[in-house]
Amino acid sequence: MFDTIPSATGDDAAAQAIVTALTRPQSGTALLTVAGEIDTVTAPHLEVALDTLVGATDGTLVADLTGITFLASSGLAVLIQAAHRADRSGRRLRLVVSGRQVRRPLEITGTDQLFDMYTDRASAGLACDD
Amino acid sequence: MSDLDSPHPAETLDGVSTVEVRTSASAALIPTIRAVASDLAARADFDLDAISDLRMAVDEACATLVDVAAPRSALRCTFHVRVDGIEVRVEVEVDEPAATVSTDTFGWRVLQTLADEVDVLAAPTADGGRPTVGIRLDKLAGDPPR
Amino acid sequence: MTRGDTEYGHLVPLLERYAALAEDDPARERLRDELVTGYLPVAQHIARRFAHRGEPLDDLVQVATVGLINAVDRFSPDRGTDFFSFAVPTISGEVRRHFRDLGWSMRVPRRLKDLHVSINGAVSHLAQEIGRAPRPTEIAQHLGIPVSDVLEGLEASEVYRSSSLDEMLSSDAGSATVGELVGEADAELDRVDVMQALRPVMSELPERERTIVLLRFFGNRTQTQIAEEVGISQMHVSRLLSQTLDRLRSRLDPETRVG
Repeated sequence: MFDTIPSATGDDAAAQAIVTALTRPQSGTALLTVAGEIDTVTAPHLEVALDTLVGATDGTLVADLTGITFLASSGLAVLIQAAHRADRSGRRLRLVVSGRQVRRPLEITGTDQLFDMYTDRASAGLACDD
Repeated sequence: MSDLDSPHPAETLDGVSTVEVRTSASAALIPTIRAVASDLAARADFDLDAISDLRMAVDEACATLVDVAAPRSALRCTFHVRVDGIEVRVEVEVDEPAATVSTDTFGWRVLQTLADEVDVLAAPTADGGRPTVGIRLDKLAGDPPR
Repeated sequence: MTRGDTEYGHLVPLLERYAALAEDDPARERLRDELVTGYLPVAQHIARRFAHRGEPLDDLVQVATVGLINAVDRFSPDRGTDFFSFAVPTISGEVRRHFRDLGWSMRVPRRLKDLHVSINGAVSHLAQEIGRAPRPTEIAQHLGIPVSDVLEGLEASEVYRSSSLDEMLSSDAGSATVGELVGEADAELDRVDVMQALRPVMSELPERERTIVLLRFFGNRTQTQIAEEVGISQMHVSRLLSQTLDRLRSRLDPETRVG
């Protein structure tokens, strides 16, 4: 039902700057919620969290990035890898993105094309029973 | 920050003002530098996308350079704030005179997308001291206000 | 919730009829009104649970009603779930989002919250009008406030924005039933308040304590379940949790301590 993702690097700075939680809000759906700043220090932590997400279910994958306040290219790279991993099992990762801090880097680099983008959880298919 | 009413601090100093930040070359200090970048851009009345872009570009430049910096060396980041944009120079000390940053990476492509101009700076010996490597980038404030 | 079945039983066939209608069917609007009116007590009930948080009840009922309308629109009876288990999280989610937009952290002074809300509104309005992201001076002019206030508001929205913890919590609601939600309403609200302030404290915790807190608050696990998973006694879990909460309480300003 619920997993915590241990700090990948054991790095205190990384643990301080981001919080991740993986939940299964409904059957067949895994949801990763991320809060904080994603840069070279914290990207490895996000990478582990996304790997866990993609491996968590054969069903729908949702990453809620609403709480991210900064996204560097290292964070984009990790998201792109996750998109490729999901793609290998024929799925597209759903991203929930509401603010400029995340949408801007995704759009300006064209990275948003790799994902199904949503502005809130409900439109990403959450809070609905499958 | 409420004590500053002018949105154009640059105008107060013959069109250009300079802010320099010096830290140890450590990834853990980059958040501080990018906070300075976004604060300067907001005060220079960049549009909100240009503020985000500059913050991300400065982060990228610093992260790239911290990777090649000599152990226990310093990072120097200089902002030249003009009316129409900000030029940023980030420099670190390196061990090898031949050290440089690679420009065929994903990060560099992102940097080129974010900034209006970007170059690698190399100074084999700076001030008779250790060689340095740097990145210069220029970001315009965005389309002119109406 | 058996009471619900009898009280709202007559609405179930209407839901089915509504879901079967085409988007442009003229009968849709009247049927929707009937459904929203019929289920309104549910929205009012949820709104009341949030009423002690300092927002006028009327506003909350309005927000909850928006959530109810969304639930009526999106519900599909053929999925085999009952309307309540779909509607309650949808409505609560809408109310939570309202609180999040309104005050993304209880530590942020009221003035900054208001500033943030008006700046957000101005940004989306201006972006549409100018066709690009606005500048701080343009936002200031639009709102008729000093540029320094805009800069302050922009800075605050970066520094204080910690809403996602609230969001993490609302993911729990996706699997909760009406009875559970109503029964645990107060405890749940306390959790929302606690979590908004918990993040800085979390970062100071050792790995194991952090895991325990995450399991308890985000995972909604019992102390016994946590004890089994982490491999320590339930007593120990209880002690670590109360230590953590003490630490949290001592970090909160007296004025932000919600009773």
